[in-house]
Amino acid sequence: MKTDVLIIGGGVTGLFTAVSLLEQGCRNIVIIEKSYIGSGGTFRCATGIRASFTSREHVNVMKRAIDLWPEYARKLGFLYRRDGYLWVLTRERDVEFFKQVVEFHHSLGVPSRMISPEEVREIVPSINTNGILAAVYDPLAGKAQVFNAVLNAVIHLKRNNINVYEGMRALKISDEGSRIVVETNKGRVEADKVIVAAGKDSANLLKGLGVELPIHNLAKHVLITEAFKPVIKPLIIDWSSSSYILQVFHGNIYIGSDIPEKYDEPAVNKYMFLEKAAKVWTRYFPWLGEVYVLRYWTGYYDMTPDHHPIIGPLEENENILVAAGFSGHGFMMAPAVAEALTQYILGGKPTIPEFENLKPDRFKKGKLIKEIAVFG
Amino acid sequence: MNVGIDPRKVIVCRCENVTLADVLNAIESGLDNLEVLKRKLRIGMGQCQGQTCLLLVAGILARKTGKSFDEVLIPRNRPPISPVKVKYFIGDER
Repeated sequence: MKTDVLIIGGGVTGLFTAVSLLEQGCRNIVIIEKSYIGSGGTFRCATGIRASFTSREHVNVMKRAIDLWPEYARKLGFLYRRDGYLWVLTRERDVEFFKQVVEFHHSLGVPSRMISPEEVREIVPSINTNGILAAVYDPLAGKAQVFNAVLNAVIHLKRNNINVYEGMRALKISDEGSRIVVETNKGRVEADKVIVAAGKDSANLLKGLGVELPIHNLAKHVLITEAFKPVIKPLIIDWSSSSYILQVFHGNIYIGSDIPEKYDEPAVNKYMFLEKAAKVWTRYFPWLGEVYVLRYWTGYYDMTPDHHPIIGPLEENENILVAAGFSGHGFMMAPAVAEALTQYILGGKPTIPEFENLKPDRFKKGKLIKEIAVFG
Repeated sequence: MNVGIDPRKVIVCRCENVTLADVLNAIESGLDNLEVLKRKLRIGMGQCQGQTCLLLVAGILARKTGKSFDEVLIPRNRPPISPVKVKYFIGDER
């Protein structure tokens, strides 16, 4: 099989990049996915979207993504809404820290603000604010429907005769001068350009070319409850326990909570997670105790040393591009990443200059991304 | 499928109110495995966690696509299998 652009990885990054390339008139694209569409981090994710970060790179890339999300929602037909993010703070030192964070946000035009427990109750009427000293509210943040975003992208691509192959695993990438050759479990694919957007597998694939990508999987745990009418608008983070809660568009309540995990250990269900999630969130929402848990699943964050993604062409071969190591932020960033990859593929530079700081060679050159303060 | 029955009136998933017509349309749009059909239609994601609908949809999918039943991916069961109230996970704090 021959193509202009081969995308390895059928997650939100790969699929949105194909949509973006198609829009720019590039029609000869093939996408291969080792399992089923969205089966990695994409379909496990919380679907939150925000620009309230602590590095210039994250803020500016996410602001661009937030500009583009409504366009994708309209074009592909899925829900996206700016329902906000809320960090609830229960320790004095966290309040002091977040004052600096808010100041940083304002310097880059992100409209977050410190609010009182009373204002928290106005935004989330059913919350018990006992113990909350203050909160940070980001009204620009929001959420999107992940299943429709991704599956409608697949339907859109198939209608435009772009092949999306599931169950097709890339095994080896080789540079054969004028073309890039990718061996798969279902034969060979030759392409002018290859985009590797395959999470931690991206590192394994590129190792064969002598390129080291420092990506490690970190297990994460989430549960979802039965569905209700809207009761919680923003995504809420309990900062002191590294836990979050949001109500997805369908009405189910989605809870994530950190429990101790080590890099590259397999993600397995642990009772400790259910216990922590239940304890943290029934304190804020006593009624939650009566709500039924339907499912508990695990997934991975594909982490890099500076917790920022690796995006852009390889220094060794600019016909091979990477988009991996999103460290838990791949879904929210996808429209901006798709745009930047499209601009690289078409021979240009990304609209958002900070993308250039995310290139794969930054580790080798010791140019890691710096944050104003390390989160977590 | 069955002559004389309007697929729009045949309920395949009672929890999420999905009809046979929804399933057939989704398959026709190119979503041809159970994992993606589940997420497009929400079959298997409701209160019963797929105890009725998943096998039904797997059967429809196998017939429509000519795939064998084994080839049609059956989504993984997730704990707690049957719904359990959040309060039962809090533990004993006395």
